[in-house]
Order: sequence, then structure tokens, then C-alpha cells
Amino acid sequence: MGIVRYFRNILAGLWNLLVGLSVTTKYFFKGTTTQQYPEERLPLPVRSRSMIKLIYDDEKDQFNCVACLMCMKACPNSCIKLEGVRQADGKRRMTTFKLDFSTCIFCGYCVEACGFDALTFVSEEYENSVYKRGSLLQDEQAMKWVRPHSPAAEAAPIENTAPATAGAQS
Amino acid sequence: MLTGENIVQLVSGLLHWAYAQAGISSLAGVIDPIISAVVMFGFIAVFVMFLVWMERKVSAHMQSRIGPNRVGPLGLLQTVADAIKLTIKEDVKPVNRDKVPYFIAPIVAFVATFMGMVVIPFDKGVVVQDLNVGILYIIAITGFTVIAILTAGWSSNNKYALLGGFRSAAQIISYEVSLVLSVVPIIMITGTLSLSGIVEYQKQAGYWFILPQIVAFLIFITSATAEANRAPFDIPEAESELIGGFHTEYSGVKFAMFFLGEYIAVVVSSAVAVTLFLGGWLPLPYLDFLHIPGFVWFLAKLLLVIYLIMAFRWTFPRLRVDQLMDFGWKVLIPISIINILATAVVWFCLYGKGAQ
Repeated sequence: MGIVRYFRNILAGLWNLLVGLSVTTKYFFKGTTTQQYPEERLPLPVRSRSMIKLIYDDEKDQFNCVACLMCMKACPNSCIKLEGVRQADGKRRMTTFKLDFSTCIFCGYCVEACGFDALTFVSEEYENSVYKRGSLLQDEQAMKWVRPHSPAAEAAPIENTAPATAGAQS
Repeated sequence: MLTGENIVQLVSGLLHWAYAQAGISSLAGVIDPIISAVVMFGFIAVFVMFLVWMERKVSAHMQSRIGPNRVGPLGLLQTVADAIKLTIKEDVKPVNRDKVPYFIAPIVAFVATFMGMVVIPFDKGVVVQDLNVGILYIIAITGFTVIAILTAGWSSNNKYALLGGFRSAAQIISYEVSLVLSVVPIIMITGTLSLSGIVEYQKQAGYWFILPQIVAFLIFITSATAEANRAPFDIPEAESELIGGFHTEYSGVKFAMFFLGEYIAVVVSSAVAVTLFLGGWLPLPYLDFLHIPGFVWFLAKLLLVIYLIMAFRWTFPRLRVDQLMDFGWKVLIPISIINILATAVVWFCLYGKGAQ
């Protein structure tokens, strides 16, 4: 009995090793799943929240912001500084807008607080690395963003329609 | 026709013509071995660099990664960059080391395995020195590595290094036995210890020894993996338990020597496995009309066996130290002894007393 079990154990062990080798060999020929980031990029969902931008109205040639300061008050880190003036027609307009991305935590409270469709998250820009810390303090020109003239695309159902780069899906 | 033998004859003819021109024909006996050694070292250095790259690629693809791909085409120069980094690195030495053994150990580890290349026949006639006791020589020479490892572990004056050295010594001594015993049936059948002679026997017999001796082949591959201290038998240098094992305290060029030695051990044992079991430089059956030179076949088979050993490393989990001893002494050695007896009985029944 003992000797039979001895040989059976050896054969079972050998079989297990072969099973393991077959698994690794299968994966060896299967191809890789690596995304080589700087050359290849994963497609982002359309409504992913990457960077905060100030919406600029092309037709009226001005920012939508009216400097109501709601975003400034909503910001938990006080990283938004903005000023505005009352124009001759009685409407308030934003003159300077500064968002310090080195302290921003992208909580989105400012976007929620905005009542004039002036602040938004964009999905296409998400690489925030800079060489100098000061570059993270962005003003209204750096944050200027024109909404694409395609309301239908905005209303489209959520799916991955962002431009995919070559080889991104494998 | 291009064969390895012709190339060797051409090169040696050119060399001897050069000796005659320079008037140093009497020194040929001294210069020839030096040239052989340099050529062999160049080959092995390049080959090992390729193997390191190959191992990283194999492991990467087994894990659905890409592996090195930045330095040079397909990352082929990655190992060159690593080698340059290793050689210009500071050589950090422990203060309380035992100076002389600490210095000698990596050299022994490298030389002991490198000397095994002397008797490897790459093609018919392409061998540095075709010793008639080739197998015995290789087994004896590769046994030296245990001394190097033990010396390194002892002279580093480090607990982990010492433990790694001890474990390595125990492991290599155990698996040396099954390694030798797995080779014995081949020697019994062929009646020669010369590696070229064994290949010639396989050529005449018309089959490779992996067919009748598959058990011996499996035991040999397992023992060779253990001899080379490679996973799953890498207990002497188990990172999670012993940091680096015996080479914990080594850095720079000395570490590179150990590293090189480990890979050369893999090359040598794979080359012996190819010679003994896979017909050495013989072409695949029914493919000899292609007239591919023998050394190409040899290198192809060599890479296949090395791939197998690499696949072992990236597939199997590491054995526990007591399981390692159990496996060596309770499984491999009895099986190889049974294999010897069975081979003897079968060959006696088949060919009678004068089985040669």
C-alpha cells in the first residue's frame, strides 16, 4: 500500500507540474495587456472628471462667469481666488480667476456650486505634471475652455466615445 | 559544406599559419588554449547577456507584460546597460569580512562553472578539449561551486549569507547524487564517458536517449535546476527569507561574477542535457537533408532546454527547505536507482551480455 501511494504521489505531482506549465505556456503565447502609457492611452469615459475648466462663450466672446463667488465659498481648501467688476450695463463680470491646483483636491464642489454654467470638469486633459510648483497656479487664460458646438454629443448616452489611440484596446 | 568542423579547421589552420609567420610555432601549445579560452569567454558572456534578456522577456510574457523594451531594439541592449551599471558600481564591502575568502569566492564560483564549458561539444569536432571522461569532469567541476558559495557565505560575516551558504551546500550535495545517478544509465548503455562519444552512439543507434530514458531526463533536469540554485530550488537565495542568501554582501563586479556563474551553470547543465538526451548536434529526424550546420541544431536545442528551465522558474513555487531534502533523498534518488536497475535489466534482456 505504501509503495503504491509513493508512486501515485509522484505521478500526481508530475501531473500537477505539467498543468502549471501548461498554464504559463498558454499565457506566454497569449499576448500582453500592457498599455505603454506615453505612447498609448486608455480611452477615457466621456464624462470622466479630470481637470476643472472655465467655460468660455465663443459667441458672446466672454467667460460665462459672473463672479458670484459661490465657487470660492464652496471650496474647502480655499484654492480659488477670483475678482469681478460691475460693468456699465449693470451686469457683473469676472476679471481675474485663479485656481491653485497644488491644493485643489478635485472634489467638484465649485462645479456644483456654480449657478451660471461657468465651471466644468473636462475629460480630455488629465496630465497635470509640471516642472515648477508655480505652474499649478492657473489663471483664467490657462483654464479657458470652449464647449464644443455639438449639443447632441453632450446629450449622448454615457459610453466610451473618446478618441482611442492605436493599440489601446487589446 | 558549412559545418562546425570545417570552421574550426579553417580557423586553426589560419592560426598556425600566423604562428609560422611570426616564428612562434613552438609556443602553439601555450597560445592555443588561451585563444580557446578567450573565444569561449566571449561566447559565454554574449550568450549569458542574451539569456538574461530572454529570461526577462519569458517571465514578462508569462505574466502578460512586455518586459524590457526601451534600450535598443526589443530591449536587447538592456543587459548591456545593466552590465555597465554593475561594473561601474561602488564595491561595498562589509568591514568584518574575512578578506581573502571574500575576494576569492566569486572568482571560484565563476571559474568552476565556466570550466565546464571545456568539454561541451557544439558540433562534431567543435569542442575545446574532448576529454574521454567528459561527464565525470563536468560533475566534478560543477561540484566546486558549493565551495565558492559556502566560502562566500562564511566570509561575508553575515547571518543571512551564512544560512544561505549552508542551505546551498546541503542542497547541492543532495542533488549532486541524483544528478550523477541519472547519468549512469546512459553511460551503461553507451559504454563511454566522452560527450562526443555519447552523441556518436545516438547517431548510430538512430534515436535520442530522451525516448528510452525519459525518467533519467526528468531527474537530470530537476537536479540540474537545483544544482544551479534556480527557482523552484532557490532556497539558498530566497529573497523573502534570506535577502540575497550567500551573495547578500556582494555588490558590483563580484555580484556580477556570481550572477554570471549562475547563468553559466544553467548553460552547462542544459548543454549536458542536450548532449546526453537530445542528441547534441544531430539534426531532427527526417530533417538532415536541410544541411543546417550542427552547431545551429545544438544551440536551438540548448535554447529549448533553457526555456524549459526558465518556465520552471516562473511557474513553480519555491520548495520549503525540509520538502527540498525530502524530494531529493526520498524521491529523486530512489527513482534514479530504480531507473538504473530497470535499464540494466531491459538492456540485458534485449542485447544479452555484450550489450554495446
